[in-house]
Amino acid sequence: MRIRVLIACGVLWVPVWATAADDMPRTPSGRPDFSGTYDIATLTPLQRPERYGDKLTLTEDEAAALANREATYIAGRNAPTDPERAAPPQGGDGSTGAAGNVGGYNAFWIDRGSGGFQIDGKWRTSIITDPANGRRPPLTKAGTAAAARRAKMYRPNKGEAWWIKEGVEPGPYDDPELRPLAERCLLGFGSTGGPPMLPVLYNNLKRIVQTDDHLMILVEMVHDARIVRMNAEHAPDDVRSWLGDSVGHWEGDTLVIDTTNFTDRPALSGATRNLHVVERFSRLDEDTLLYQFTVEDPTVWTAPWSGEYAWPATSSRVYEYACHEANYSFGGILRGARILEQEALAQTDDD
Amino acid sequence: MQQEVRLKSCRIAASWLAAGVLLLGAAVPAWAHHAFGAEFDPNRPLLLKGPVVKVEWVNPHTWIHIEVTNEDGGKEVWMIEGGTPNSLLRRGLKRDTIQIGQVVIVDGYQAKDRSNRANGRDVTFEDGRKFFLGSSGTGAPYDKERRGQ
Repeated sequence: MRIRVLIACGVLWVPVWATAADDMPRTPSGRPDFSGTYDIATLTPLQRPERYGDKLTLTEDEAAALANREATYIAGRNAPTDPERAAPPQGGDGSTGAAGNVGGYNAFWIDRGSGGFQIDGKWRTSIITDPANGRRPPLTKAGTAAAARRAKMYRPNKGEAWWIKEGVEPGPYDDPELRPLAERCLLGFGSTGGPPMLPVLYNNLKRIVQTDDHLMILVEMVHDARIVRMNAEHAPDDVRSWLGDSVGHWEGDTLVIDTTNFTDRPALSGATRNLHVVERFSRLDEDTLLYQFTVEDPTVWTAPWSGEYAWPATSSRVYEYACHEANYSFGGILRGARILEQEALAQTDDD
Repeated sequence: MQQEVRLKSCRIAASWLAAGVLLLGAAVPAWAHHAFGAEFDPNRPLLLKGPVVKVEWVNPHTWIHIEVTNEDGGKEVWMIEGGTPNSLLRRGLKRDTIQIGQVVIVDGYQAKDRSNRANGRDVTFEDGRKFFLGSSGTGAPYDKERRGQ
């Protein structure tokens, strides 16, 4: 079979086959077969902690320490707590991020991996590899201004309608469409669907279905399905979509996906409709893919930036994520904002 | 009724704070499906206790329903928001892992819309073991580990 394919493809394919591992799974047409399910959870961060500087790799001890810290943290979080405990503090528990001063939830819901990832036998300090410091390049002037505008619409959660008191219009809860795309169940959070596709707090499974004409990448979170058209042209510039327009081609045994035509709100934080992402899939070994990406958005970043990490195959399954069916929170958030607004207005009247 | 639950919990919180005890263990994710800060009110802390009457294994977040008895003996159902059920399924837990009627203790904050909803910062059984991880005889992987199987 392989010989017949080789003959049919001509001499162009010979060097490619000569360098490929003998056990590499291939499609009937001879391309590397990336079909399968992958668990991309990793404790290695997108951006390198500044203490590592330009250091690309971790020692075995450092990698072990990373895994041990997480294991210790999870074990501590899973240990019993005092059944005689009281309610949490009045005014909030001081938690930050999405936990927003009210705390999050127990660790058994969280699934962000148990260790870092390796490439060519080396543990990495970050997913980003370019710039050399493993961190996103500086923002442009416009990118800085946009970040400042976003920050202006955020306040620590004090349980009050600060936008009424400060006269901010529109307020962050005035229109459902002003709310984050993840909250609206339109995209997963943290660029889990991307592109680029990045690891997040849970639901890190991806399923690839591959044919000669199309590649489908099913993202467990919000079951975003990325459809890549092979050897095709991009859609016209005015055709825009949440996940962008992806076209693919092969460079030897590497699958290259080029994505443009994003909306004004791509999944990648801070990016704009001018985002352009190039992704590369190749095989590290029989059970692992290498995922590489380059991000370019001259509106936001002063230079392109690139990263790479391993996608290990898993026997686990992608479960359904019917986000709209039970998104009770969204209605609750909007109703809650209305109540806080009424309280703020009543207080203003009293004053 | 609902207000009474809240007021009672606030009183408990105040005395607890006075004792200077710090509760550790609430997850602080940088990102999640939605910001819990947008949904729950830091000025309405709660401590709820009661039997589980229903568990909704739904996305984007699991909801645990418990029946709470007030000081005057009245009963009301509270919905406790957790994380994605997919993580539980991958741990080998199933819909029937949690038996209806098991008593749980929940600490969290009431929703800003004043409904009987709260986030579950920490959901445990009566003896302090974690909900889901602490139920025994379920056959779930964690349960087997605990029993040394």
